[in-house]
Amino acid sequence: MRRTLVMVTAVLGLLSLSLTGAHADRKLRVVATIPDLKSLTEAVGGDLVEVDTLTRGTQNFHEAEVRPSMMLKLRRADALIENGLELDTWADVAVTGANNPGIIRGSPGRIEISRGIQLLEVPTTRVDRSMGDVHPLGNPHFSLDPGLAPIITQNIVDGLSRLAPDNRPAFEKNRQAFLQKLDGEMERWTKQMEPVRGGKVVVYHPDFIYFLTRFGLVQVGMLEDRPGIPPSPQHLVQIIRQMKAEQVKVILVEPWNDLKLAERVAAEAGGGAKALVMANSVGAVKGADNYIAAIDYNVKTLAQVLK
Amino acid sequence: MRTLVLIFIVLCSALTPAVAAAQDPAALRREIEQLQRQLQSVTERLQRLESQPPPPGTPAPPGAGPGVAAPPGEPPGTTGLGEPPSAMDLARPRQPFSLYQQRGSGHLLFDIGIAGDFVGNITQRNVARAGGGTFAGQENRFFPREVELSLFGQIDPYASAVVRIEAGEEAPGQETGVHLAEAYLTLLTLPFGTQARLGQMRNRFGWSNEVHEHDLPWVDRPNVMRNFLGGEGLQEKGVELTLVPDLPFYIEALAGIFNGDNETAFGRGTLQHPLATGRLRTFLELGDEHAIQLGMSVASGQTGDRNRSTILGWEWRYKYRPDGWLHPLITLTGEALYSLRKADVGVDLDGDGSIDQVDKRQRNHWGWYTGLEVQPFRRWAGGVRYDWSQYPINPGWEWAIEPYVSFWPSEFLRFRLAYKHTDRSPQTRDAFNLNDSSARKVDELLFQASFILGAHPAHPF
Repeated sequence: MRRTLVMVTAVLGLLSLSLTGAHADRKLRVVATIPDLKSLTEAVGGDLVEVDTLTRGTQNFHEAEVRPSMMLKLRRADALIENGLELDTWADVAVTGANNPGIIRGSPGRIEISRGIQLLEVPTTRVDRSMGDVHPLGNPHFSLDPGLAPIITQNIVDGLSRLAPDNRPAFEKNRQAFLQKLDGEMERWTKQMEPVRGGKVVVYHPDFIYFLTRFGLVQVGMLEDRPGIPPSPQHLVQIIRQMKAEQVKVILVEPWNDLKLAERVAAEAGGGAKALVMANSVGAVKGADNYIAAIDYNVKTLAQVLK
Repeated sequence: MRTLVLIFIVLCSALTPAVAAAQDPAALRREIEQLQRQLQSVTERLQRLESQPPPPGTPAPPGAGPGVAAPPGEPPGTTGLGEPPSAMDLARPRQPFSLYQQRGSGHLLFDIGIAGDFVGNITQRNVARAGGGTFAGQENRFFPREVELSLFGQIDPYASAVVRIEAGEEAPGQETGVHLAEAYLTLLTLPFGTQARLGQMRNRFGWSNEVHEHDLPWVDRPNVMRNFLGGEGLQEKGVELTLVPDLPFYIEALAGIFNGDNETAFGRGTLQHPLATGRLRTFLELGDEHAIQLGMSVASGQTGDRNRSTILGWEWRYKYRPDGWLHPLITLTGEALYSLRKADVGVDLDGDGSIDQVDKRQRNHWGWYTGLEVQPFRRWAGGVRYDWSQYPINPGWEWAIEPYVSFWPSEFLRFRLAYKHTDRSPQTRDAFNLNDSSARKVDELLFQASFILGAHPAHPF
């Protein structure tokens, strides 16, 4: 009996030794809830991290189905990077099923990147579900605004550095290099969008408000009756009338929404209006393989169609 | 004594590197440099934020938005950018609701949701008299089956909790009863990929047992589950431990110890002769569009008359979700149960009609169901379920087929219409032949309306 006790204790002791500094000699395993965050984490983490994502760009992030494959990814993760603001609350169910205490809410490995973001569409009145699937804390689709990338990447650096403090200088260096590249692109994008500043668009779902605000475009309507509620015929008639009156040329559509319906509305509105599938996330359309490519796709598409 | 000394030495040797590292001057210096870098980074970030003009049309966030949330590690109640708490603030008792007020609107310390589930059914008169419908005793009625108040959230950094209180009409004319449906805590920070759930819970036995009535893809629970586990399913008080090993594929192992209160399958109700449960669950993804979950469960305990009862279960669930779809196009679900049970059977030795002795006889019975659902549109789905089941002790068997259609006006509201035909074998007796009526062939029209108010956790696969 005594010998068994000693053996068990010795094994536990050795195990605890082997777990000490487990991060030191390998890459951090990071899982992001959405592809935008995966791309930004790759930019910041460089060779020091392995990044995976729980969703694909073609999915609706609000309604991601929690699969055990998510739990498998999270089981081995050192960090979970989440958007927050109720966009990816389903991650909690996946985390609970992963049995990984390192990434539960409140632990150092749980990194929420909405901290410090100045939010848009924050409800100022009482909110209930008669308003649709509204987000009481504000619109959560801020990652589409390249102007917010410095804050998002800073949150990622801070989060990763909690787990690997020695790597902070490397993360910060990668971040600066990425931001420098992004600044160059930003200058180009701003020039491209300057001629269409003030252009009016209709969106299918309110995914693009941060992007549109950044480049001075105006969202005049939404195909959905209310966020997350499919459009009624009366609402569509009203939108068509509005598009005609305000000479709106484009409807922005997420890859998971009904493109045919948007095309019918655009055709009814006339005036050469088009319905276009946009990169509402990295991987949403062909060519939008990383963060800069996704923003570039949106800028090019809108600059062309609105000119 | 020698053992204790040995344990002490091993633990000391395990902890020594950590202590040494903490005392190492070089390590301390590195830590200080690290903190300086962090401070510099935060200062730079603050300056950048202050110098950044707000985007045009940006409404000012009310009160303390997420931008001023307290960083991890700070005591609750501080804002990160505001004044540090005074000594009086720290001394004051910290009540959850005073914390809520400090955090401002939009932040709850736990989530609250209500799910309502109303069902109606129309069937033949003889079925109603015999009490042989799907909702026995509630035939030809519309009633609140389950109205459930759910409270769930984190208790502290180490555990979460769920409390569900249910009300529902159990029989016509009776007052709606309120009872505790579930109340359990989950320990989230156990080592080696384990987690423990303690309290009263719906057991993770098979796929459908854990699913609440309003979340089921059908109006009613499958016949085999009701026959072998009772109308409410397996809900027990005890402990479940899960293990998700760090492997390249997903597998979850579960073991549980419970009182064994379920009267249909067990009923001994004591930890001296507990109900032991187990489950193995795995998951395969065939590309991005196809996914299969397979599982196997076991529950073994004693019945109220001290006989051994063991139920084995198998489950399968397949989903086909075309790329970019918000919902699966095809879902195939099924479960099979095999019950091995000893039962007391009265024996008439001399043929005088009276029971002379009670024998223990082995009763091995089984049943299964499978359901197919097709959802071509976001708001509409149609499907069919086929059931075949014996009874745990009594002879006979039944089969049923149930086509249905579901409509969701929104994510939080659902209506369902179903037709169910049940056919019972001639040997079937007792409960389905009450009041000189027979419920051997049952035709039912079923209707269900379900809603969700407030928070509702995402559904697992």
